[in-house]
Amino acid sequence: MGIEDSILACRDLWKRYRDLEVLRGIDFEIKKGEIKVIIGPSGSGKSTFLRLLGLLEEPTKGKIYFEGRDVYAENLDLNKIRAKIGFVFQEPSLFRHLTALGNVMLGLRYVLGMKEEEARKRAMETLRLVHLEEWADHYPAQLSGGQQQRVGIARALAMNPDIILFDEPTASLDIELTWEVIDVMKELAEKGITMLVVTHEIAFAKEVADEILFMDKGKILESGPPEQLLKNPKTPRAREFLSRLLGGE
Amino acid sequence: MEFLLYYLPFIVEGFITTLMMTFIGLAGGFILGILSALGDVYGGKTLKAIINVYVEFFRGSPLIIQLLFFYFTVPAVTGFKWDAFTAGAITLMLNSGAYQKGYFKGAIEAVFKDQLIAAKSLGMTFRQTLLHVILPQVFRIVIPAWTNEYVSLGLSTSALIVIGVRELTNVSKTIAAQTFKPLEVYLIAGLIYFAWIYISLKVIDYIYDKVKIPGLEVSLT
Repeated sequence: MGIEDSILACRDLWKRYRDLEVLRGIDFEIKKGEIKVIIGPSGSGKSTFLRLLGLLEEPTKGKIYFEGRDVYAENLDLNKIRAKIGFVFQEPSLFRHLTALGNVMLGLRYVLGMKEEEARKRAMETLRLVHLEEWADHYPAQLSGGQQQRVGIARALAMNPDIILFDEPTASLDIELTWEVIDVMKELAEKGITMLVVTHEIAFAKEVADEILFMDKGKILESGPPEQLLKNPKTPRAREFLSRLLGGE
Repeated sequence: MEFLLYYLPFIVEGFITTLMMTFIGLAGGFILGILSALGDVYGGKTLKAIINVYVEFFRGSPLIIQLLFFYFTVPAVTGFKWDAFTAGAITLMLNSGAYQKGYFKGAIEAVFKDQLIAAKSLGMTFRQTLLHVILPQVFRIVIPAWTNEYVSLGLSTSALIVIGVRELTNVSKTIAAQTFKPLEVYLIAGLIYFAWIYISLKVIDYIYDKVKIPGLEVSLT
């Protein structure tokens, strides 16, 4: 598999914050329809990796490819590419002055240039997909954490992106709200949406992932199908991490 | 109180000048304030330094000195003459802009960074983010603090007396001197100021209540 037939890929990706080397030479690619899950200890660089792939930060070194094109070398319009890469954050990060519907409509109106009625229709359809159509007129402060996160998913999904990146979307939620969000993500997986998910929800990873990647200290230490990586991790570091994670469940 | 009927047109005229000065000062200050705040938050080092000098000068010196400076010193140095009304209006705009800059900066910083990153992830440009994410929140967040500026500037217009602008305080002083009735005249002037500010605050409260959004109440004071 190569860069040409991938939606999103990177080669030798490095990120440094002052003296701290957060990412250390990552190679990665994901094809249309694939679901990949990244696991790894805190501080391993998972979120930074996702932000770089989402073009929210620039790498210190290395290349990022979207649909086979080097996004930084070819002087492409980054905003146009960002609009095709959905991003769901750890915190819902909703626009506080807009209702759930307004949050979903904003990108449709001003980035995709849809007319108000068309944007409203698409936003309502997307809110229906995340089971929030009845909450469309509520402001973020009037929604639970799980509902806010589902609005965040709807906001990304409505843009009809080629891939959605999820950065630990359930990390700030309690167990019940976590399942609300996970159920929606499973439904998206069933619809064939390309997803790259950073999560510690191993059950979710086992059920929907085509591949799990284990990250540690800014590198992808190993990767493989869920049944292989979760049952027989090759590296001692992944074994140790998984035994702690699964032992704690 | 017969004298009152005679002098009423002068009092009304003075009050209208007071209102005009307040609204000109607030409107000009609003534009200067929002631009300075944006420059201070998103601009480069040189721009920030220029903005800080401007703000420090106008917040760190008395309004009366600023009025005298712009009415007497600036024309003397530059040779460019302007009337008291123009000098007063410009001074009030610059003065209010320096204060409003602080309110707007606080409000801009109250819009959490995560929302800006979320807007970026949707593919929004900085201009779109400013217009559709930052400013709509800033204008709501700033209302309580901005109300203070309205009251403060409105009452400060009485300082315009030092450069001879015919606003309410100046007119009242003239009438009091002509009628030898300072008690009645200043009482009436005081009541006009009070009623104006009281009614304005009620109107602003009403507007704030209408545009208020749950979860977006941020105190900047």
